[in-house]
Amino acid sequence: MTPDDLKYTKDHEWVRILPDGTAQFGITDFAQDALGDIVYVQLPAVGAAMTAGESVAEVESVKSVSEIYAPMAGQVLAVNDTLDASPEVMNADPYGAGWLVTFQPTDLAQAQDLLDAAAYEGITAH
Amino acid sequence: MSNAEQGEALQSALHSSHEELGAKWSDFGGWLMPLEYAGGGVTAEHEAVRNGVGIFDVSHLGTAQIVGPGAVAAIDAVLTNSLDRIGPGQAQYTLLCNDQGGVIDDIIAYRVSDDELILMPNAANCTTVLEILRAAIPADVQIHNLHTQTAIIAVQGPRSAHVLAALGLATDLEYMSFVSDTFDGVDVTVCRTGYTGELGFELAIDAGHAVALWKALLAVDGVVPCGLAARDTLRTEMGYPLHGQDLSPTITPVEAGVSWAVGWNKPIFAGKAALDVQRAHGPSRRLVGLLASERGIPRHDMVVRNASGDDIGLVTSGTFSPTLHQGIALALVNADVDGDVVVDVRGRSLPCTIVKPPFVTASPKA
Repeated sequence: MTPDDLKYTKDHEWVRILPDGTAQFGITDFAQDALGDIVYVQLPAVGAAMTAGESVAEVESVKSVSEIYAPMAGQVLAVNDTLDASPEVMNADPYGAGWLVTFQPTDLAQAQDLLDAAAYEGITAH
Repeated sequence: MSNAEQGEALQSALHSSHEELGAKWSDFGGWLMPLEYAGGGVTAEHEAVRNGVGIFDVSHLGTAQIVGPGAVAAIDAVLTNSLDRIGPGQAQYTLLCNDQGGVIDDIIAYRVSDDELILMPNAANCTTVLEILRAAIPADVQIHNLHTQTAIIAVQGPRSAHVLAALGLATDLEYMSFVSDTFDGVDVTVCRTGYTGELGFELAIDAGHAVALWKALLAVDGVVPCGLAARDTLRTEMGYPLHGQDLSPTITPVEAGVSWAVGWNKPIFAGKAALDVQRAHGPSRRLVGLLASERGIPRHDMVVRNASGDDIGLVTSGTFSPTLHQGIALALVNADVDGDVVVDVRGRSLPCTIVKPPFVTASPKA
């Protein structure tokens, strides 16, 4: 259910470190399920600086709106433009086609401070 | 004092059936009720009701029997609408107002006979409404609070009559009328009422028999269980007010555009003096529909501004319309509002046009 090859934040974001040293992030299955049907996604500009823990995007569902916090410091390389027309992809495939941002981490070693899948499942378990 | 006031959420008789369907829960007026179901979600559930049929557990709604000599006349002297407008077997939308004309609750009244009515207030207001009525009507008219004994299942959508027919229940009813029937030997009141804007029925049954009825409805081909999130998007698309948001003890029926639910010619009803004055002078603010012209969703309590940037009111209900794929809202604004407005959405100005609801073309009378 929670992919083992990703890192997680307590704010329900996932981070995928890519082979070329860049990284990608999105929201977890737990987060998309809590939001319900997502209808609007506001993403940062390509080139924007991200500060870890600060708001970088906004995801709005039929029933609520949620700020998305940068999981690590870095610079935005690309955003998932398909979410503009098809935000429901975040509900259907949160760890794949529903990714939000690809970025160049300022310090890749910061990824070690994030949670692994088991630790993340520990904070979402009821 | 109810359990709700003690901080313990009440559960519907259908609670375990909702758990089996993977319900996500929310508190509604002190009741823990399904918001949406696994495998559905608010959008799919909304569309099922607009295009097919959905069923909702609305057992959180209050139910009270008012019975005794002259029960109808006694209640008619308190609630706003005129019970003379309906006969036995008919229902009407009515209001309980305070002395200032503010709405304590909106209620569906079912006229059984001259000496018996069934009232359906909102969950959170049921206790208050019944206390006020008890103090206002003669002692020989009795009030029986059936809130926790009664389960109510709403069957809503263009295919709703087919579903009732499949269970052998009556469907040949005028809008806002009701009839006694039976399901599997158990009494069921079939009401042609609802809160979605579609053809629909509400079924009232003793709570002890509710699970069998719910499961029989679900077993009919095409029936989708729907949570109260979809009920809210459906009613907002119709511009139906929700008490606690679009109606409240500080909002009058004249302001909220529900003057049609006031029997102005009646000699007496609670709030009449204040409402007569407001009606004669015109209200200083009124409830309007807002349709977002750009991407964005106006939500409850967001500030509405005019073209000059002046604050002119607040959003009372707002959502994403699954039918229109646009933000829609009801807002209480200065009565002299003219032209387009903006809603302050977390610091961004969302342009909106003022429209007269309903936002969609549905009708429950179809």
